[in-house]
Amino acid sequence: MKTSRLKTRIALALFAIAVLTIPLAARDGYIIQLLNIAMLNAIVVLGLNFATGWTGQINFGQAAFYGLGAYTTAIATKAGLPWISTPFLAVAVVVAASLVLGLPTLRLRTYYLAMTTIGFGEIVRLIIVHWEPVTGGTSGLRAIPGISLFGFGPQGQIQHYYVLIAVLAVAVLVAVRIRHSALGRAMIATKDSEIAAEQSGVDTTRTKLLAFIIGAIYAGLAGCLYASSIRFISPDSFSGIQAVLLMTMLIVGGMGSIAGCIIGAAALTLLPEALRFLGQWYLVLYGLGVIVVIVLAPGGLASIASTIRLRLAGAR
Amino acid sequence: MSDRPILTARGVTKRFGGLVALDGVDLDIPRGVVQAIIGPNGSGKTTLLNALSGASHADAGSIQIDGRELFRLKPHRIARLGLARTFQTIRIFNNLSVIENVKVAGACNTPISLFGIVTEDARQKQNEAEIEYRARAALEVVGLGGRANDRAAQLPYAQQRLLEIARALASKPDVLLLDEPAAGMNMTESMKLLGTIADLKTSGITILLVEHNVRLVMGISDRVVVLDFGKKIAEGTPEEVQRNPRVIEAYLGRRHRHA
Repeated sequence: MKTSRLKTRIALALFAIAVLTIPLAARDGYIIQLLNIAMLNAIVVLGLNFATGWTGQINFGQAAFYGLGAYTTAIATKAGLPWISTPFLAVAVVVAASLVLGLPTLRLRTYYLAMTTIGFGEIVRLIIVHWEPVTGGTSGLRAIPGISLFGFGPQGQIQHYYVLIAVLAVAVLVAVRIRHSALGRAMIATKDSEIAAEQSGVDTTRTKLLAFIIGAIYAGLAGCLYASSIRFISPDSFSGIQAVLLMTMLIVGGMGSIAGCIIGAAALTLLPEALRFLGQWYLVLYGLGVIVVIVLAPGGLASIASTIRLRLAGAR
Repeated sequence: MSDRPILTARGVTKRFGGLVALDGVDLDIPRGVVQAIIGPNGSGKTTLLNALSGASHADAGSIQIDGRELFRLKPHRIARLGLARTFQTIRIFNNLSVIENVKVAGACNTPISLFGIVTEDARQKQNEAEIEYRARAALEVVGLGGRANDRAAQLPYAQQRLLEIARALASKPDVLLLDEPAAGMNMTESMKLLGTIADLKTSGITILLVEHNVRLVMGISDRVVVLDFGKKIAEGTPEEVQRNPRVIEAYLGRRHRHA
């Protein structure tokens, strides 16, 4: 037990060193930019994991919350509000939206949330596209002011990379703490058997609502950072297709696994760019790849290591 | 200890369309007894349990635990007021470890603070330690202490049934409803289960035992209620009930009355 914990710590330390030295090795701005987007996506998928991975509620609204956070931040900073206000504004907007969506639908079981959030995503997209004077319509918003705390802020992509690493680390830490608390156990219990959870004293409606809201906060904050680090947003980044892509990241990485969320987000953000030379064949390969993962590793990419370990132990 | 029954039900009625599954059932269950509810298939035993625990609300009636009304409360409120249960078909949390299954119920009266969880403050640590203690104690009662860190889904069938009992115990119930706890167990496992139920009774928990296997319950129960077609047809000690002609008729058919 102790040696395995030590091994995990060493592995984590090596991983941290590798992650922190990447910008020194890859000075290519394009790669860093891509990694930044991968980290933002990882935060959004970590958020999706609360409602969908742990609590079992299908949420197709995560891209819309991402977008609400990004547009709130862009509009606020362009109107001259100080940057420090934007994370709070983004959180306020997504919490309000998730309450309005979640309160009526999460009392009901099964797929009502899926239906409602698909509709919500479409409403948000239509508002962004048609409210041109404020949102810039389909051409989006440019030259969004960057992150700035009392005059200090990251400059260039490498500094943003380190800011995002730090935020992602906090997002992971919060997720780990929730997982190992009564709330995290209540979420998973609600997914596994709603009635048994209720009869064990879990307020499943409240648990589902909390999971949904916490997930929306993750997306809202990621949206805020997206707008102020990429500095350009358009409706395409937060469309229904993006919602499905986020869900795919969660499934391919591994539902319910914190590591899986990061692996899934990284894989599905970086691979399309790495495989760009394939042209239209990319989509075929992508579809096949997703199917192969789901068939061969239903627990997602994160489960492969433990599956192999079990197989080896069994063979011995 | 007062003489007031810990659990009372008055006129509990439940209809499924035209079918009357429970027809004005009254119960008075004294504190600290093992009370069996028996009856032929379809007599309304599980429906009564679901009505008591709030899993499927009764249409009419009154249910009180220690004088507090439970009728139409949500199941988690009923659980927090001291009524826990197990299920006829096993419903454990497969994606949690054995001890985490039990901790879910162990946390039922601990308020959740998101701020406390995120900052891991002193109160949160204290709460978690108390939940852990309750969960370990409950696992020891059913003899699953050695499997605390295994995945719940990996337990063999009979142990999954015991895990459900441990989970129910962790909420510190006054009344424990057991829905066919011996279903699918072999003789050795059933005997051990009876021993555990006797231990629980000694610790002061009131037990409501729904069983299809009449012989199993007769030895352990202090009192027996017999249901047939949603009505209470007999009530008393196991000996009284076994001699009751209406019970014999319900179980064996009308002709046996004259046999």
